[in-house]
Amino acid sequence: MKTFSEVYAALRRQNRGRYGLLAGCCFFSVLLITAYACMMRAPTILTILPEGGDSRKQVMMVFVLAVLGCAVFTTYAAGLFFRQKSRETGIFLALGASRRLLHRALGRELAVIALLSCTAGAALGAPLAWGIWQLFRLFLVDSQEMPLVFDPQAYLLALAFAAYVVCMLFFLAARFIRHTNIIDIVQTSHKSEPIHAVKRWYGPVGIVLALAGALLGYLMPTFFVTVLHWYAPGAVNAIFYLPALAGLYMILLHTVVHGWGGRKKRYQNIISTSMMQFQGRQTVRNMLVMTLLIAGAYFASFYTPMLSTSAENTYAARPVDYEYHWRADQRLPQRDEVQALADESNVEITSWAQQDAAVLGTDGTYAIETETGFGATYTTAYAELLNGATFFSESAYNALTGQGIDILPGTCANVLDDEGGSGYLSGGDVTHLTNMVTGAEMDVTPVEPLCYTMLLGCYVLDDADYAALTAGLTDVWREEYVFFNVADVENSYTFAKSLFNEIVDRSGPAVEVGDYYDQVASMLAAQAGEAYEYAPETAADLGLPTIDYGDRDSSAFRSYWKYMPQFRVLDQNDFVTTMAVFLMLFVFIAVVCFAAVIVIAFTRCMTIALTNARVYDDLRHLGASNAYLFRAVRGQISRVFLVPAVAGTGLIWAFYLMILYFNSDPYGFTSAEVAGMGACLAVIAAVSALLYAVYRATRRSVCRALRIHN
Amino acid sequence: MLSVQNLHKSYQVGKTTYEVLKGVSLEVDDGAFVAVMGPSGSGKTTLLNCISCYIPADSGSITLRGEELARLDEDALAKVRNRKLGFVFQDFLLLDGLTVRDNILLPRIIAGDHTCGMEADADSLCDVFGIAGIKDKYPAEISGGEKQRTAVARALINHPLLILADEPTGNLDSKSSRAVIDSFLQARAALGATIFMVTHDSFAASFCDRVVILRDGVVWRTLEKGGQARGAFQDALLDAIRAMSAE
Repeated sequence: MKTFSEVYAALRRQNRGRYGLLAGCCFFSVLLITAYACMMRAPTILTILPEGGDSRKQVMMVFVLAVLGCAVFTTYAAGLFFRQKSRETGIFLALGASRRLLHRALGRELAVIALLSCTAGAALGAPLAWGIWQLFRLFLVDSQEMPLVFDPQAYLLALAFAAYVVCMLFFLAARFIRHTNIIDIVQTSHKSEPIHAVKRWYGPVGIVLALAGALLGYLMPTFFVTVLHWYAPGAVNAIFYLPALAGLYMILLHTVVHGWGGRKKRYQNIISTSMMQFQGRQTVRNMLVMTLLIAGAYFASFYTPMLSTSAENTYAARPVDYEYHWRADQRLPQRDEVQALADESNVEITSWAQQDAAVLGTDGTYAIETETGFGATYTTAYAELLNGATFFSESAYNALTGQGIDILPGTCANVLDDEGGSGYLSGGDVTHLTNMVTGAEMDVTPVEPLCYTMLLGCYVLDDADYAALTAGLTDVWREEYVFFNVADVENSYTFAKSLFNEIVDRSGPAVEVGDYYDQVASMLAAQAGEAYEYAPETAADLGLPTIDYGDRDSSAFRSYWKYMPQFRVLDQNDFVTTMAVFLMLFVFIAVVCFAAVIVIAFTRCMTIALTNARVYDDLRHLGASNAYLFRAVRGQISRVFLVPAVAGTGLIWAFYLMILYFNSDPYGFTSAEVAGMGACLAVIAAVSALLYAVYRATRRSVCRALRIHN
Repeated sequence: MLSVQNLHKSYQVGKTTYEVLKGVSLEVDDGAFVAVMGPSGSGKTTLLNCISCYIPADSGSITLRGEELARLDEDALAKVRNRKLGFVFQDFLLLDGLTVRDNILLPRIIAGDHTCGMEADADSLCDVFGIAGIKDKYPAEISGGEKQRTAVARALINHPLLILADEPTGNLDSKSSRAVIDSFLQARAALGATIFMVTHDSFAASFCDRVVILRDGVVWRTLEKGGQARGAFQDALLDAIRAMSAE
């Protein structure tokens, strides 16, 4: 051995485990972020997730969590690497090596580690995402929207993260070498990171802060909008979540330092507690990252069961098997044609109700936004003619729904869902109505809303008022509604599919529009010589889903077509394939995040245990039995593994319940939400079982490494 | 060879300043074997760390063969540590991934001196210190005494002006301690090495030509061995330490 490089190579061979750990952590983090970024930016996904929609925000939120988690994880791995390297660096310096020489040698090593691990992670990220997606397609669900296409621009995100990893490694290396005091460097590897002055009130105060932060973070944006008329920038809204983060950190600190067993258990857990206490900030940071990742993963994994259960509940609760409606100028299948189709499929139609409805102009308030440079403010203005809505006469409504309501002359009732909720989707109260052909107008008084989910958002008038106001309307402003039942709905899928295709085939280009399209607003814009922003040809520019008869099985078409029929058997059977991309995307995110949690927890547990290997040897020399040592290991591993799992699960469950509670109008839980919550609890049980199994496996590995029988 | 004049060094812990060295002065001549003794907290390790250029002194001067160390920049200090000083630590500080011979060669490798003769130099040092039989072994495979003799050989590979030893027998049993002291004596006799050793051990110090006793950051007394036998000099050291404790 003649050169310094050869010395470094010999030490590298001896310490390949450390190098492997650092390279593995960097590789895994870049792999994870690349896979996530590729998926998040894939045109397959972007086509399905509405721009500015909640789903896209949720995907981005979990991505940010994953990036933060991986950044902390790689920084931790690098810090550990340098701490372990401090002894040899101290010896080199003591023997007269210059910092420049050491910096050069370390820089060369890090360049190789960073280049190989980041390149491998970035190169394999896309195949990993593709592979998981193909497995979903093979074993779970496939649809015409599922084929995965990647956007090369996603690699910009992966490259940005890889650049962070490289810069972080070199920054920490430079800082490490810059330590001027050789004595300190020689002793660094023996230094602990004590957590000072963690008071016993940290735990309870942390819980209060976490709850307050979650509540404030969720409610303040609504407060800003409704009370202050201010659309605050995202960063301002995010600030209100900070108490939750601080609270969580305090809870974890309290757990690491004091535990929750009370003073009686102090001596019982003294070894594991004291060892954990001196693992310091890094442990708590890692636990915080794991907690947030678990919370994010659960948030993503709740999506599928919640959506599925909620949809299934809604379909099952429909009082009518088949509903379809159309604009009266379209020539859609009438009863005899539907009967013929039913006969072809041996389906027996047991009831039939067909009523007409009308689209009338309604009054309302609209927001006038002003950009302030710090969010936008708005004022509201009233217009006698603003939007359009579908109106029924009371007798038509009764005939369709089987209800027996009586609307008094001069009044108007809005239709809400079966439980009297979903007010935000219903259009709200109206007081002035306009016939868009004759210009006839009428003032009405809003009365108690009606409940019927299948006609959510429609309005009902007194028969005489309806007749007077709709007189003279052309077919463009009239609609037909058909409700019918069949004898054996479960076996009528073929018929449902044929009828659906027939309806789409016979609908003309004038009604190839999304449910965001408003016929009245469009007409008003045309009269004012302005462009209507929700017109089919410009809707895509606003990030709204486009409606295309050719894509009639797509989620966009099924979810947003203004004249989409409600066929129970069709909706039930096609739900999974229609929503496949949504469902599988969130399953993918959950899988990736849980995998990250498992890798981080395993790595952290192994390093903590091995860092304390000497303590276990000392305890053995002091006469500690195998059972005692095992209890101490279990105490350490369970804190690293189970505390974030319990905290993350509890946190997201409470947050999710809060969202569901405040989402309902009035506040509370709908029956569909309760069913969805049950399904989410089943997911929690399954994932908890998996995490527990991984915890047991990790504990076995740690015990093996420390020569402790379990 | 080494001249320390009016050396001051203090540490700040919180708001309290601890003055560890309060004007220490001493001289070490070429080929001398000098020990520094003193109770815990007397400043002997701090003195050694200042001379080793590991920590800067607050004031005073340290000159090595006429070269003022405080005036040197970092690269020059590294060169001094590498070429003019040799180090022996209480914990040996050998690199576990290198063999005994590679550990001995380390200062030469750091110096960038890749001559063919360097391995022969290491082998001859192994012969001098009786570790030729273990030169291809790793530190984990050898005893504490062998580790320390390896460290002494490493300290000598660049023919330094001065060997600085920090409690070199602190982690060793009496037999290994004797072997290490013998290796210092051999280094002085065979290679003309100058040795400056910090120790608690009066037995180890009794082999030195001169022992400087520090107390509370100042030189309390200096004892010269002169023509005394080793046992008598050790008794004189113990008497001095007892006297210091009694004051």
